Amino acid sequence: MNNEQIVSQVNDLMHQGFEIPRDKLVPTATLFDDLGMDSLDAIDMLVHLEEKLNIKVEGERLKKVRTLTDIYGLVGEVAGPVNAANASSAILQPHSEQSH
Amino acid sequence: MKVFITGMGAMTSLGNSVDEMFTGLLENRTGVRAYPDWAQHKGLFSHLGAPAPDFDNMKIPRAARRSMSRMSEMATLATIQALQQADLPIDGKLNSQRILLCMGSTTGSPVILEVYFRKLFERGGPEGQLSTSFFKVMNHSVPANVAAALGFHGPLLSPSSACSTSSQAMILGWELIQSGFYDIVIAGGADELHYITAAIFDIVQAASRGYNDRPELSPRPFDRARDGLVVSEGASVVVLESEASMKKRGARATVEFCGGAYLCDGTHMSQSNASTMTEVMKLALTRSNRSAAELDYVNAHATGTTQGDNQEVAAIREVLGSKVPVSSLKGHFGHSLAACGALEVIASVKMMENGVLIPTRNLREIDPECEGVAHIQERREARVRTVLSNNFAFGGMNTSLLLSLHE
Repeated sequence: MNNEQIVSQVNDLMHQGFEIPRDKLVPTATLFDDLGMDSLDAIDMLVHLEEKLNIKVEGERLKKVRTLTDIYGLVGEVAGPVNAANASSAILQPHSEQSH
Repeated sequence: MKVFITGMGAMTSLGNSVDEMFTGLLENRTGVRAYPDWAQHKGLFSHLGAPAPDFDNMKIPRAARRSMSRMSEMATLATIQALQQADLPIDGKLNSQRILLCMGSTTGSPVILEVYFRKLFERGGPEGQLSTSFFKVMNHSVPANVAAALGFHGPLLSPSSACSTSSQAMILGWELIQSGFYDIVIAGGADELHYITAAIFDIVQAASRGYNDRPELSPRPFDRARDGLVVSEGASVVVLESEASMKKRGARATVEFCGGAYLCDGTHMSQSNASTMTEVMKLALTRSNRSAAELDYVNAHATGTTQGDNQEVAAIREVLGSKVPVSSLKGHFGHSLAACGALEVIASVKMMENGVLIPTRNLREIDPECEGVAHIQERREARVRTVLSNNFAFGGMNTSLLLSLHE
């Protein structure tokens, strides 16, 4: 997954799942202060990212995330080549509550 | 101390406001529809339900909505309606330790419970669970979410007794206002439609199975051809307020909540008991300082089950005789479980205000076991000053309450 795909996928999730206007989704935006998220949103965001991008992120790593750039970096770090094929075709549908 | 109803809100299978709901009753409409796809669930033979029409949940900010199931969304919108009618704030300023938020549901969201446990078993553990799921299934999910949506940080209670939940919430509210603890109680209940809810009743052969292809003909309380209840959904909320608080605020009300009572059978989980029904109606009359002779109408719980309807009629005959007009609204709404008590109070208030009595829908041929009371089979104009409303529930729960037109 290249950087452009990562940004696109994460931003789609933020917009569709957390109803954040796209114009607020700038790389330097902080999750809590700028985007109005909180700790519950952050946890659920991770669940959605893991499910749709077929990645696994240790919960502890979430504590260091502050900005959208941090999320892009985190996803890029854990989304290896094996997952790229799945991720590129994944359509993010957070909050669907549907299990596989 | 007198207690009045100063606000009402309703999300129902007949419409998502009190006025829409009452119009549906006046037009003798039904909220029941067929769910043929429920046939895929092995062992489920009742394929009828009464859903609330679609509504705009985006009116609720996402920060509050994210932890809400459908029942909490409906409860929030119904509460807003009730507060607006009562001229109470909905913008985060409803904060007083003299105001109690008192509402509940039968269980947490059955929709989310299914999703949660399906994933739990598939994954062999909690992997992949959303942080907000629990807030949709916890027992006090409905009032906790309503409070969060309103920014209310006063007292909150969550009574839960299945189909008598909102009745108990209202009667408890009346008791606590009478006791001087609160000036205002926002009372109600909510439940959402799911096939599991139909199955609960179907398993004990209390759900309608014979009308899957003719949904408009079921349920049929008191009718010879009835074959069980139809599950519904909705939310209903009333604002109960002391006379002193009303006068202080300049609030208006048309109906007094005179009082009520709740008693349990302590014998059987599912079989209704006319003896306790009789006792609870008598106690409700006594606690309300009213006599049977004053009643103009009885709003029966009657859901359309054979045994339940028979037992309720026997109790009404015993306490009130054969002259007081009686009807059940389950033929219109279906059975909205935790919401039905407050919903039927709201419908009764509208009947009192409009001088009309709504008949029991689908009551064509009165079951001989249900004879001996004055069944209402056609809509009619009437002076409706004093009403008794019953609600009963699994677990041997019995409630009865009285309303009186404020003149």
